[in-house]
Amino acid sequence: MTLATEDAPPEERKESKGVSFAITEEQVYRVKTLAQRILREPFTRRPWMELAFFLVSGGLAGIGLAFIGATMLTGVVLAITFFGLAVLGLSLRSARGLGRWQRDLAHNMLGETIEEPGAFIRRPGFFGWLQSVLRDRVAWRAVGYHAIKVPWTILGVYVAFSLWWDAFSCLLEPIFWRNNNGPGTFGLISNIFLPNNPLQGPTGFDRSVALFFLGLIFFFAAPWVMRGFVTVDKLLIRALLGPDPIAARVRTLEQARSHTVDASAATLRRIERDLHDGTQAQLVALAMRLGMAKEKLDDGETVDLDRVRQLIDEAHRGAKEAITELRDIARGIHPPALDIGLEGALATLASRSAVPTELHYDVHARPTPAIEAIAYYCLAELLANVAQHAHASRASVSCAQTGSWLRLVVRDDGRGGARLSTVGSSSSGLAGLTDRVRTVDGRLDLVSPDGGPTVVTIDLPLSV
Amino acid sequence: MVGALRVAIAEDAAILRDGLVQLLVDRGFVITGAVAEPGALRSSIAQNPPDVAVIDIRMPPTFTDEGLRLALELRARHEGLGILLFSQYIETRYAADLLADDAAGIGYLLKDRVADVSDFVEALERVAIGGTALDPEVVTQLIGATRRTDTLSGLTMREREVLALMAEGRSNGAIATALVISEGAVEKHVANIFAKLDLPVSEYDHRRVLAVLRFLES
Repeated sequence: MTLATEDAPPEERKESKGVSFAITEEQVYRVKTLAQRILREPFTRRPWMELAFFLVSGGLAGIGLAFIGATMLTGVVLAITFFGLAVLGLSLRSARGLGRWQRDLAHNMLGETIEEPGAFIRRPGFFGWLQSVLRDRVAWRAVGYHAIKVPWTILGVYVAFSLWWDAFSCLLEPIFWRNNNGPGTFGLISNIFLPNNPLQGPTGFDRSVALFFLGLIFFFAAPWVMRGFVTVDKLLIRALLGPDPIAARVRTLEQARSHTVDASAATLRRIERDLHDGTQAQLVALAMRLGMAKEKLDDGETVDLDRVRQLIDEAHRGAKEAITELRDIARGIHPPALDIGLEGALATLASRSAVPTELHYDVHARPTPAIEAIAYYCLAELLANVAQHAHASRASVSCAQTGSWLRLVVRDDGRGGARLSTVGSSSSGLAGLTDRVRTVDGRLDLVSPDGGPTVVTIDLPLSV
Repeated sequence: MVGALRVAIAEDAAILRDGLVQLLVDRGFVITGAVAEPGALRSSIAQNPPDVAVIDIRMPPTFTDEGLRLALELRARHEGLGILLFSQYIETRYAADLLADDAAGIGYLLKDRVADVSDFVEALERVAIGGTALDPEVVTQLIGATRRTDTLSGLTMREREVLALMAEGRSNGAIATALVISEGAVEKHVANIFAKLDLPVSEYDHRRVLAVLRFLES
């Protein structure tokens, strides 16, 4: 640590000179932080942990690949018999297990958490098992990982050892310079970059000092080179030992489907509730009044005509109210405005909005009915939000087509601060919209800083 | 009937609640309370006890079976209080819960029945004095739901009609009017039904309803 802090100032000066005349405080600060980071790195835990991981997981991968290779070869050779097939299957099963070990190693030593791939689903019977094993994409990907990992480890270990070895032998040179043979160098630097190996040969005091500084550079560069190797390895693990992209896609679709199913169940429930509390109650009351009126008329001699007239009047009013309610409910199920096209429907919404709203519409292709309906409901909900929560004086809506996508942007000049979902189980309307949009692989983005303005962007495919 | 019957109403749809109040006042009932949710009915009944409570099944807060649970609770607490459950739909399960102990002073009607004002008022009066009023729909469903239809298959068409009307809580006289036969004929059918179903004859109308339903539910 002391070394780091002492060396920091010259580094900083050297760097700053090259930049420009006008160096801002911030640039100085940034360079300083970077220099400190580089100088401290070899003395932190991380590069050594990475090196250890690389060695351990490389060793494991080597053994694993040897095992998988041997068993597969045996399996293929004996494939004509059941025994060979069983060996092949076991080989793939162990590849899956080895993949899990690698994942656990990465988790424990690098703190890299990789999601579990989908579990192995076994079909009944030996042939069922065999079929599932041979089709297990996770296992095959694990085999692929081992095949790539082993050569990568060999290269990485070679580079790492060259760097660390050269670094230490150069750093120690001033102490041993009298042996006149130069530092004992190894691998990469001496064999590839410097074929004539100027590092070796008789040394004097000044050459020793130069070698010492070269050693310093190697020493501080080594962790970063190692990190490069480990990073590539991490990407490999992620790509080949993590969840299958196809499986992930299936999961996303499953989630979207369950949202759709839930949403449609909720919609049906809401419609039932509306009918039950509204129209049905209205009609029952209406029938009741008519029933009362009928009985009054049947009374015989003393018909209270005024009362009958009043009852019929109330029934008449109730019937009209029921018609209105029914129309509103029907509109909630399918907006008739959509029958005249999306533009007309959106224009109706915009003109009906409580906040003055202008609409720009630029879509040439006609989206499928499902997309039109989603766009319509999204706009209806968003404009309702603007009217209720935003305290806006105006809003603008743009609906434009880019390629096979429909982009709906709703902007308002309100106070902002909108969030996608509220804390807890209850979700805001925006979260509901997000779910709705996701069911067709669309997306919803919300930008709403406190103080506004709020911009909601919805991208929908033209067809599903 | 001596004096005006006192009725409490719990119904969350205002339009229907107001309509019911109007109808019942028109028919000479006294309304002790007309409220929109279970809690309010509880306190209304405690302050001003009615003879019969008309209770909507779906009420706040969850709009599921608040009314039914309230009815069971009120029945346990206020002996002799008639309860008329009032619903947009008939759920056999609810009827079974309600009739599990005793069918005396219990009614379960579709809301539509208020359209036939006289029938509705008559059903309400029957419940108030400890009788039973079941919607024909309930009876049909209960008969449909029972697993022992093979036993019922021993009944003639006429006997089944009589059984259904009996299950609604009607007296022999009312059944006779409904089927346009003599009261004597009804009595004969009832006796046959009891004999075929192995039920002892009882003098109270609601007892026989209970017996029939017990049998159907078993």
